[in-house]
Amino acid sequence: MSVAVELRHISKRFPGVLANKDVSMSVETGTVHALVGENGAGKSTVMKILYGMQRPDSGEILVNGRAVHFKNPNDAIDASIGMVHQHFMLADNFTVLENIILGSEPKKGVTIDFAAAREKIVAMAAQYGLEIDPDVLVEALGVGQRQRVEILKVLYRGARILIFDEPTAVLVPQEVDDLFNALEGLREQGMAIIFISHKLDEVLRVADDVTVVRQGSTVAEVKSKDVTARQLAELMVGSELPQPSTQGVTRRDLVALSLNDVSILTSTGGRDLISHISFNLHAGEVVGIAGVEGNGQAELVEAILGLRDYTGSISFNGSAIDHLSVAHRHDLGIGFIPEDRQRQGLMMNSPLWENRILGHQRSKPVMRGFILDKKATITDTARIMAEFDVRAPGPHTLATALSGGNQQKFIVGREISKAPALLVASHPTRGVDVGAQGAIWEELRRAREKGMAIVLISADLEELIGMSDRLLVMLRGAVTAELDPAKTTPEQLGSAMTGAA
Amino acid sequence: MKSKSLKALQYAALLIFVLSIIRILTGASDLTSVGTASAALLLSVPIALAGLGGLFSERSGVVNIGLEGMMIMGAWAGGMIGSKHGPWIGLFAAVCFGSVGALLHAIATITFGVDHVVSGVAINIIAAGLVRYISTIFYKSGAWLGPSQSPDVTSIGTNGIPVLSGGTYFGWKSPDVLSVLAEKHWFFISDTAAVIRGLTGDLSYVTMIAMAMIPLSVFILWKTAFGLRLRSAGEAPIAAESLGVNVYAMKYAGVLISGGLAGLGGGFLAIVAANHYQENQVAGRGYIGLAALLFGNYRPGGILMGAGLFGFADALQLRDSASIHALILLIVLILLFLVVRDFRKGKALKAALTLAFASLSLWYFLAVDELPGQLVTMTPYITTLLVMAVASQRLRMPAADGIPYRRGGMQ
Ligand SMILES: Nc1ncnc2c1ncn2[C@@H]1O[C@H](COP(=O)(O)OP(=O)(O)OP(=O)(O)O)[C@@H](O)[C@H]1O
Ligand SMILES: [Mg+2]
Repeated sequence: MSVAVELRHISKRFPGVLANKDVSMSVETGTVHALVGENGAGKSTVMKILYGMQRPDSGEILVNGRAVHFKNPNDAIDASIGMVHQHFMLADNFTVLENIILGSEPKKGVTIDFAAAREKIVAMAAQYGLEIDPDVLVEALGVGQRQRVEILKVLYRGARILIFDEPTAVLVPQEVDDLFNALEGLREQGMAIIFISHKLDEVLRVADDVTVVRQGSTVAEVKSKDVTARQLAELMVGSELPQPSTQGVTRRDLVALSLNDVSILTSTGGRDLISHISFNLHAGEVVGIAGVEGNGQAELVEAILGLRDYTGSISFNGSAIDHLSVAHRHDLGIGFIPEDRQRQGLMMNSPLWENRILGHQRSKPVMRGFILDKKATITDTARIMAEFDVRAPGPHTLATALSGGNQQKFIVGREISKAPALLVASHPTRGVDVGAQGAIWEELRRAREKGMAIVLISADLEELIGMSDRLLVMLRGAVTAELDPAKTTPEQLGSAMTGAA
Repeated sequence: MKSKSLKALQYAALLIFVLSIIRILTGASDLTSVGTASAALLLSVPIALAGLGGLFSERSGVVNIGLEGMMIMGAWAGGMIGSKHGPWIGLFAAVCFGSVGALLHAIATITFGVDHVVSGVAINIIAAGLVRYISTIFYKSGAWLGPSQSPDVTSIGTNGIPVLSGGTYFGWKSPDVLSVLAEKHWFFISDTAAVIRGLTGDLSYVTMIAMAMIPLSVFILWKTAFGLRLRSAGEAPIAAESLGVNVYAMKYAGVLISGGLAGLGGGFLAIVAANHYQENQVAGRGYIGLAALLFGNYRPGGILMGAGLFGFADALQLRDSASIHALILLIVLILLFLVVRDFRKGKALKAALTLAFASLSLWYFLAVDELPGQLVTMTPYITTLLVMAVASQRLRMPAADGIPYRRGGMQ
């Protein structure tokens, strides 16, 4: 076997942060090589360097034994490197096909050869089990499908060295299985795959080798068969693996949220996006919503928050809120951790303290009377950063300069600080490292004890089972089962989600 | 694609049909005359060119308020150089000067990250001042007759569709069947003939070139790799760059093409619509082009419709005020159509509002015989505004339009 990629002593400094101090790794062809480390350890940065999106300050990159100096992603693409980014890079208003061929368009005379492109994409999709309709707009796709588009984009360019930056963070178990099958196929074809993930059991399942980085430096390179998840976690953060769990019943009498026959009809006349959903959620209770992406969870959340029209009725703390606006519901005490942190949770080009305001623009400490209290906002931002271990230089750092996991921690901190009576949490630990995951779970536990009602949506089945008092399974827009988490295994839940049970 | 153009044809036929009815009802014979149609076309062309210019720029993600200034540069260059070196070279100069204005805008917004609107407004102010300044110098040196008007430019030839709408081909003078038909005053048939004759006969070659720009833009933006990349710069520049698209180059291209088209529009005003450059010749057409761009939802076909609507109203206004009076009736009908559409879609409030507008217009039509002059000159603007307000669709501007872009700002 030959070495496909070798990184030697890469370092990279951003204003105020040393993102990579000394990262080295070597990836052999025909293997899956995992890269693990805490949030902000520098994983994404080093991969962007390998993909030509950032220039290293020092260090060497060797591709197939030859030293390379990429000036931009084009050079990397030419060296047959492809990257599936942690945060999707897609044009919403373009079709799947347009997104895939952009930059490498097949031509017929002066025009794009759409027919040839379509044919190639469909064939490739079938070969790797990544079926998708090339002519739909990306904005109509769910995250699982968006990721397919990203992978197809890379394969379309004939990449032999594939970088996956936290590809499984957004997937449900079935999709993860599909992805791993696809990775298996790619590995067999002699491709080299770099795989970043915070889910250590997945890492051990799919990877041959593991490189561990801590605070910008490689601290270990091990064979995955020689280590356990616990040992990996210790290498990463020097602590043990946290477990999602809640203790005792903290449920109170007050019904915090009540849905009565809520449906969202499609405008196109297909099946309802969600149909006839009714449940009660008490204060101090966590209800977990399980389901494969695209089965109505997102729409359910939007209905509760008032982002979408629905039929039926929703009441909060005993009074109907159907006629209330999003802002009004927010003010009543409904908090929201969105599933897509960059599109719904943050203003990427604004500093953290301005992001602190988002969604809280009418309450203390952001406002004092009619006036924006900038000083108090900044102080409070610093508090959130300290309490939730958001690693960034300070409240004035732009959101875009935070690593993915740190962005997530910031949003969770912002929403929990308000102590809402009801928290709608979509994938609250998506993309955060094992240490921070434990911290977020602890915060949720504490809030639940104080009487917060929580609607928890997650693709992480262990999290769902561990944190919920009750589980609702959604399939094709309807609630198809209600399960007791104490008596449910992840396998049972998984099959209930696909309708197999 | 085929069925789309068929549908457009059906709508056009329907429109002419309605106009014929109104013509009979009100006796405003100019509503569908050859002269009106041809004047409408002449007035639409510069607006359509400005709109197309805006299209290229905004699709690449750069807001271009500076279209007005680029048109002024084009008109002025057309008059100045055209009067000396002939109309074709004048037009070429118009395109070049428009592009120079655009280059300024591009450097400011793309390279230096200046706010797009600020830069655009600056271009408008600078262009107007600069041409006035240089014109004065020409006037002082005796080359120009006045500081606000260039010497005359010789005109560019015209032609029509052989057999149907006259013209000459290699010395052969073609018959003009449509004009003959138009004279007959047969209901609908003569109206249709007149409109087609107006739109296709005695066409300046420049008009033909301008009209060809519409399908050409569709082709470039939606069928070529260049177009896909240009649009990606306006939709998702970071994603585009991660795929190796040179976003800066695309934005520069978009803005430069934009300036070239706006310049051509200005040159058209000086050389084809008039026969010299005159101060204030552009008179806000750059802004109206932007309005047409929005009206057309950032698509060339829509831009053409927007420009056509304005051109038509403007033509009527210039020709006679009796037709403007009749135009009110047309507006009433259009509004009623929209009322029905909105009501069917269940938008009761909007339908009611539109209905109120319609009733008001109808009352005005019946109560007043002759419109006051001021109102007549305003009609093109009012019509455009009204139609835009009520016909509003789901506007979809490019997702990253107007957002300054920095390379490597990617996460
Ligand atoms: N464009 C940037 N400007 C400034 N600082 C940055 C930028 N990108 C990353 N950083 C900083 O570099 C460090 C490493 O970030 P990176 O995104 O590589 O972390 P990561 O290991 O991928 O973390 P995660 O698991 O949370 O995604 C972080 O401290 C981050 O704040
Ligand atoms: Mg990362």
